[in-house]
Amino acid sequence: MAILWRFFGRFLRHKRALIAGFLAIPLGTLGDVAITVQIGNALDRLKVGSTTEFLAGVVAIIMGLALVRGIFRFCQRWWIVAVSRYVENELKQELFDKLVSLPFSFHARSRSGDVVSRVTSDVENIRMFLGPGMMYTAGAVIMIPVSLGLLLSLNAPLAATMVLPMILMGLGMKVFTPKLHVISMAVQESLADIGHRAQENFAGIRVVKGYGREGQQIAKFESASNKNRENQIKLGRFRGLTSAITHAANDFTFVVILVVGGLAMIDRTLPAGDLFKFIDLTFKVFWPIIAVGWIAGMYPRALASAQRIDELRAEPIDIEDSASPVALPHVRGALSLRDVSFTYPGTTKPALDGITFDVPAGGVVGIVGPTGSGKTTLLLLLGRLFEVTNGTITLDGVPVRDLSLSTLRGALGYVPQDSFLFSEPYRDNVSFGVEGSLTDERLNEVIAEACMTDEVARFPNGLDQLIGERGVTLSGGQRQRTCIARALAKEPRILVLDDALSAVDTETETKLIDNLHQAGQARTVVIAAHRLSSVARADRIVVLGRDGRIEASGKHKDLLAREGWYRDTWTRQQAQDELSVL
Amino acid sequence: MSAAQKNADDPFDDYVATKSWDSSLLRRLLRFVRPHAGLFVKSFVVLSVLFALDLVGPWLWKRAIDGPVSAAVAARATADATGTVADIAPFMSQFWMWMGVYVGVVLFSIWFRYLEVAQLNRTGQVVISDLRTKLFAHIQSLDLSFFDKRPTGSLVTRVTSDVENLNEMFTSGIIVLLFDLVKVVALLAILFTLDAQLAAVVLAGTPVLIGISIAFRGGARNAHRAVRARLSRLNGYLQEVLQGIRVVQVFRRERQVSQRFADHLAGYLKANLRTIFLFALFFPAIDLAVTLIQSSTLWIGGIGIAQGELTYGEFVQFWFYVAMLVSPIRELGERYNVLQSAFASSERIFQVLDTRSAVADGDRRLDRSLAGHVRFENVSFSYDGTVEVLTDVSFEIKPGHTIAVVGATGGGKSTIVNLLLRFYDPTRGRITLDGVDLRELDLAELRRNFGLVLQEDFLFAGTIHENLVMDRLEITDEALEEALEASRADEVIARLPAGLASPVAERGATFSTGERQLLAIARALAGSPKIVILDEATASVDSGTEAKIEAATRQLLLGKSALVVAHRLSTVRRADQILVMHKGRLRERGTHDELIAQSGIYARLHEMQFAPSA
Repeated sequence: MAILWRFFGRFLRHKRALIAGFLAIPLGTLGDVAITVQIGNALDRLKVGSTTEFLAGVVAIIMGLALVRGIFRFCQRWWIVAVSRYVENELKQELFDKLVSLPFSFHARSRSGDVVSRVTSDVENIRMFLGPGMMYTAGAVIMIPVSLGLLLSLNAPLAATMVLPMILMGLGMKVFTPKLHVISMAVQESLADIGHRAQENFAGIRVVKGYGREGQQIAKFESASNKNRENQIKLGRFRGLTSAITHAANDFTFVVILVVGGLAMIDRTLPAGDLFKFIDLTFKVFWPIIAVGWIAGMYPRALASAQRIDELRAEPIDIEDSASPVALPHVRGALSLRDVSFTYPGTTKPALDGITFDVPAGGVVGIVGPTGSGKTTLLLLLGRLFEVTNGTITLDGVPVRDLSLSTLRGALGYVPQDSFLFSEPYRDNVSFGVEGSLTDERLNEVIAEACMTDEVARFPNGLDQLIGERGVTLSGGQRQRTCIARALAKEPRILVLDDALSAVDTETETKLIDNLHQAGQARTVVIAAHRLSSVARADRIVVLGRDGRIEASGKHKDLLAREGWYRDTWTRQQAQDELSVL
Repeated sequence: MSAAQKNADDPFDDYVATKSWDSSLLRRLLRFVRPHAGLFVKSFVVLSVLFALDLVGPWLWKRAIDGPVSAAVAARATADATGTVADIAPFMSQFWMWMGVYVGVVLFSIWFRYLEVAQLNRTGQVVISDLRTKLFAHIQSLDLSFFDKRPTGSLVTRVTSDVENLNEMFTSGIIVLLFDLVKVVALLAILFTLDAQLAAVVLAGTPVLIGISIAFRGGARNAHRAVRARLSRLNGYLQEVLQGIRVVQVFRRERQVSQRFADHLAGYLKANLRTIFLFALFFPAIDLAVTLIQSSTLWIGGIGIAQGELTYGEFVQFWFYVAMLVSPIRELGERYNVLQSAFASSERIFQVLDTRSAVADGDRRLDRSLAGHVRFENVSFSYDGTVEVLTDVSFEIKPGHTIAVVGATGGGKSTIVNLLLRFYDPTRGRITLDGVDLRELDLAELRRNFGLVLQEDFLFAGTIHENLVMDRLEITDEALEEALEASRADEVIARLPAGLASPVAERGATFSTGERQLLAIARALAGSPKIVILDEATASVDSGTEAKIEAATRQLLLGKSALVVAHRLSTVRRADQILVMHKGRLRERGTHDELIAQSGIYARLHEMQFAPSA
């Protein structure tokens, strides 16, 4: 509970609304009880003759009370629930900010579904429990003693006996709730099983059909479906029991009121109007009691969610600026790797091992090698998304570890392998890395450099075209070129391309590389590629082996002259290119 | 995001069935209900009895208060006036009798309260479990183009969440809604028989209640929809940023995306506040209307009591009945929304049920002594009706011969396999088996004769044994053992603690790629098929496993007609004929040596695929 109270502290930041909301609860409740009292008293004061005027007065008072009650009930809900939404938003924002500043290694090891659920459903669980949950609890905590106190003052024996059924109900529910939980788990499991069976079947439909296994699959699905049905029916029985218990408590409370109240009336110790108060307050007290039970059921989930959120908040940010970060006013772009090794956390085999090479400022280097040789990892190390395990990487002679992140990453134009773009206007995507906005002229310039001019011209909304699910879908090649434009737009000193030309056709590739070389007179370019034609003109090509070591390095000509992976792959890719034109 | 999720999240997508009442849908649903009509009748009986029992309670209040209680009070008053002691014993026994009846009624209604929930739930579950199986069976009968067009996730949603939504329709939707209407009408009628003047007041107030409830429903639905849309954008952005986190970090855009997220949050908050406002307004508004009805009752009733035209007992009974009348009206809006979401789901379900398979089943049975002679005659095919992926392909597989199909990606190799398995029918031309057009043959029977090893081969949840036998009753234990031995998959089985009875993890995750291939070959061998269709896996395996797979493949192809999409040099070399597919056409054919000598496409393919260190 302590941990949840800490989260409740966030609600207190909205003191005024929260206090007003919680003050409205007793006021609304008092209005509600007062209405019952008014009606009860009126029933006892009916006199022949003056009834109409008397009743008109009572009705006016009741409606006035009802209006006041309504206003307070409105305020209560409006303020408390709204505060819970504000808190939800603040918490989500805080978690989001935390997430974007967490090191890449965190994102690489965590499943995105899990992270998302912490920001979404875990936050919601806490909000429900601390917002509306607290509101209902507070309502019950006020309504129940006030009503009981009033009834006790009217007729103590009756008030004391009428709570018996409710207490019995509470005990009964306590026995049933854990069982209910067990059965609903079974229902959830059998539902998940149905989902799995369907998923497995639909994904493997070729095998199912190829082997003519439809009949068997239907039988299996039917048995899963029937199992779920049986579980659901069992759950329905338990729900029926709990519903029966609740209603029985309600019904028996009325039985008690009639028996004990009737006897009291006969003894003339209970006027008819007071009996009415018992009836009407029972109506009003019963549902707050049920609500408290419901909120108590939410507690374990809210607690677990609070712990999961705290876990995320405690996650260390270990890639940060060093104590005295070096800021370079002007980056030239000379990269140097000395004996660089990197091992992914939780693995033993190094992904990169003893990598040493230099790229002079303005130089073009190609990184090639088979799948899994560590090309992408190497590029991530350049931007310090991961910290090297051994060795050093320097930029203009300064170890990247000592550089301020804004100097290092500010100098970098990065084109990722997955050509990630936001589902936002085209303009925003291209100017993503730039402070402020870009002029259309400058935008068109980089788009031209990335060979996207024709495609952009065909967008219905031009530069403002929304891309992604809600807008136009770009082909793989178009995405890659857009990512290149985005990187060029920030005029980086070092351009890093991670297999960023794979989906571009050969002709455009040639043109693009021409552009990059031209524009890159003074710019360092690092190109990792599967297709060797992308790097053939590089000043230097580094060939990585499956073991994460440098297998060979040199110019295209030199590598082609030697036997090995580079020459084999080149031959194969040339054959492939020839084939595609046949 | 799957299509189904989109349906749930996107405000503009769930206009599929926003008609408030769709009688043709309802009629179709009723067809699934008919076999279980008995359960429905029972449900109605339970609801009716429960309603009657609920009516008895307040009536007993009136009997008790107006009868023995009033009589005893009156007797005592008279006795006080005359200074005697009243004998109230007969009234007391009458009072206790009524109380006995009351307790009996409450006890009885506990049982029915249980039945109400249990029975309605049972009814819903029986109907939807039926529907779910029928839906799944129908999907099984559809051809592959149906699956090609739909993401797996959205199909799964059809048989899971959409079906469950329908359950709501039965448990808290239609039956209860109809019965609530019955209750409202019945209660109003009863109120009139009790006191016409009082009832008229309530009747005048009822439309106000219903009006508030319905007005709120519309507003709440739109507001909820806006919240869902905002939330889905917010979560979408969150997922997008997580997916592109490296771009965000390398470009140092943490602050900017945070601002963008804040904008999304602001939109979400605004939508939420509107919903909160509506709900904050709704409950007090309803309460105000109820209090208005109640105070009018007090006014009219009070005058009646004062004039001796109405008793306290009747007033209390009336009060109880008004409370019973209000609660279904209060929930009207909610029930209505449940009904609508159920309509939307059933519409999506019926869309699937209305889809017919494009591959019609033939009725010709195959001869026991199938020779295994396959012919492709001028076959062309297009998946989407515009781009031809196979153009005028003709070849034959003579009984016992192995045909290897090679070609670059997109050449049309897998389409040939898909057509032979009759996952699709050719757009033009025909395929025959022993001279009979595939379209005339019984589908299940046809596929039973194929021994299939697919690249995306796939082990289902269950035991190894189940996966190998796949319910083919004709496979004896000896045959299976032989097959395992021949394919050398017995070694794979041997390392498992429970042998053949070991469970398989999802998608065969227990096994390496190579082991899965061996098991798939064993599975095909076990059925001693006449025709083998083998799509060789491209994934690389270590050389030891490679040798095993090669040997197993040789065993599999021995003496059978075979169509092999080949990725292994050894397989290609041994084939009786190699077909070279390029851009949907059959460009070269011959043996390995002949084709190499041609130095055409095959020669280049060979260089690409089988060159060293590939």
